[in-house]
Amino acid sequence: MNNPEPENFGAHSRRTFFKSLGTVAATAATAQVRSVAAELEKANAESVIGPGAVPVTLKVNGEKLKLTLEPRVTLLDALRNYSSLTGAKEGCDRATCGACTVLLGDTPVYACQKLAIEAQGYEITTVEGLAKKGNLTKVQQAFLQKDALMCGYCTPGFLMSVTALLRKNPKPTADDVKHACAGNICRCGTHPRILQAALSAAGVATASKTEVVNYV
Amino acid sequence: MKAFQYATAHSTDSARELVAGNGLYLAGGNDLFGLLKEYLVGADLLVNIKSLPGLNKVEHGKTFWTIGSLVTVAEIEDHAEIKKVFPGLHDAAAEIASQQIRNVATVGGNLAQHSRCWYFRHRDTQCLKKHGDLCYARDGENRYHSLFTGNSCISPVVSSLATTFAALDATAIVLRDGQETRMSMAELYHGAWENPLAHNSLDKGDLILRVEIPTTRTRSAYLQVSDKHAFDWALVSCAAAAAVVDGKLKSPRVALGSISPVPHQVEAANSFLDGKVLDDATATQAADLILKDAKPLEHNAYKVPMAHAIIRRTLLKLKGDA
Repeated sequence: MNNPEPENFGAHSRRTFFKSLGTVAATAATAQVRSVAAELEKANAESVIGPGAVPVTLKVNGEKLKLTLEPRVTLLDALRNYSSLTGAKEGCDRATCGACTVLLGDTPVYACQKLAIEAQGYEITTVEGLAKKGNLTKVQQAFLQKDALMCGYCTPGFLMSVTALLRKNPKPTADDVKHACAGNICRCGTHPRILQAALSAAGVATASKTEVVNYV
Repeated sequence: MKAFQYATAHSTDSARELVAGNGLYLAGGNDLFGLLKEYLVGADLLVNIKSLPGLNKVEHGKTFWTIGSLVTVAEIEDHAEIKKVFPGLHDAAAEIASQQIRNVATVGGNLAQHSRCWYFRHRDTQCLKKHGDLCYARDGENRYHSLFTGNSCISPVVSSLATTFAALDATAIVLRDGQETRMSMAELYHGAWENPLAHNSLDKGDLILRVEIPTTRTRSAYLQVSDKHAFDWALVSCAAAAAVVDGKLKSPRVALGSISPVPHQVEAANSFLDGKVLDDATATQAADLILKDAKPLEHNAYKVPMAHAIIRRTLLKLKGDA
């Protein structure tokens, strides 16, 4: 079987178009022979930059991404449209749905409400950075085992929120999980399964069926 | 968003200079990017102020605590000592928005956020708050709007930190024209009471530096009611703070959010409660005083009994912490 990926159909699919933009941007950035430190220093200096594209270096999932972006480009757009990292999803683009959640260090934030230029210097983790060498994390496995997704669009955001919670609080209560995940919306409504998955990943005895159904 | 320039300020002086043209301060960005994406405000330059030194600290002396304007809401929520000393502030912070927003939202930004009125937030509506002629909420969809106002705009203040700071009689220290100006919460929002165009009393270029909270009120409580259990604006919020000496309230203060353009405080209720032993009857009388002049509109009359209940509950919670 040699089915081409959907994005390989036609010369100008949306994804290849944006991917090529990212490559051009990366090449352009690399061409400007400048050390990362110097770029960061420039970004942090009090000089006014933009509104045209400027070099921006992001450290995502342990790898440096050298991009050329206008200051107005959000972290989410930088990941999805100027790199090949489409794991973080764009739902509302208004800090409301949580589909774009990524980690800055260990802290979950909405990538749609953060400028890429502000995210320089942070260790950024997207859902692509969770599994190491193809081995799913405990949280990812728990989501699979508990069938904690339906359409799956919100799943990357939930995975980041739950991962961040368990790093900060390895034995959360059901209320802790609800509090940590309140900023993620699952339109399919599989919140009870997500709660079960989070508790199961933490090794906390899953709440009784009744409690889980009464998710509020 | 329209294109803008970008700069990182390393001192308050340079921040003020940079923002002086058509610039805006950028801290957590939660409110700002919402406004920019809907084209409700415009800026040629965003000045990132998160590197300003000294503004991201929580410090305390004997008589007051200082919370820097760049301290995040999550840091307040997670601060073990704040939870002990100002439980009302902890509870208010914990109910703000979502974890992702609390992680970046700053105290200064929470206080300075713009109206959430859906007519104001709609990019195609030229309402009173946007130099239009008419408040569309007044005869329109006003279920989330004010019971009190000093002008024709009825959008309420939604900062729950402001409500809590008001009950704690906190002072905001604002950098204005290079001078530090001290403002009570009443003063910080008085502009919005008088002027339909204003969201608070801050002028362009003003920068909130820190908030000082006196430790005289050893008890505090905060409650809010929302449509959703989490990640929602309050329909009505209430904060109360007081010291308790020999079972009697000393220097009590009650403030309500989401029912007025300012944190709603009634001095008559505060003085009524002073020296009283808290019970159901006194809490009820205080609530009566606080809501006496409420002017409900077509769709927000439910807020009156809701506010009444939540004032009583917050006051009794204050007592319950004994």
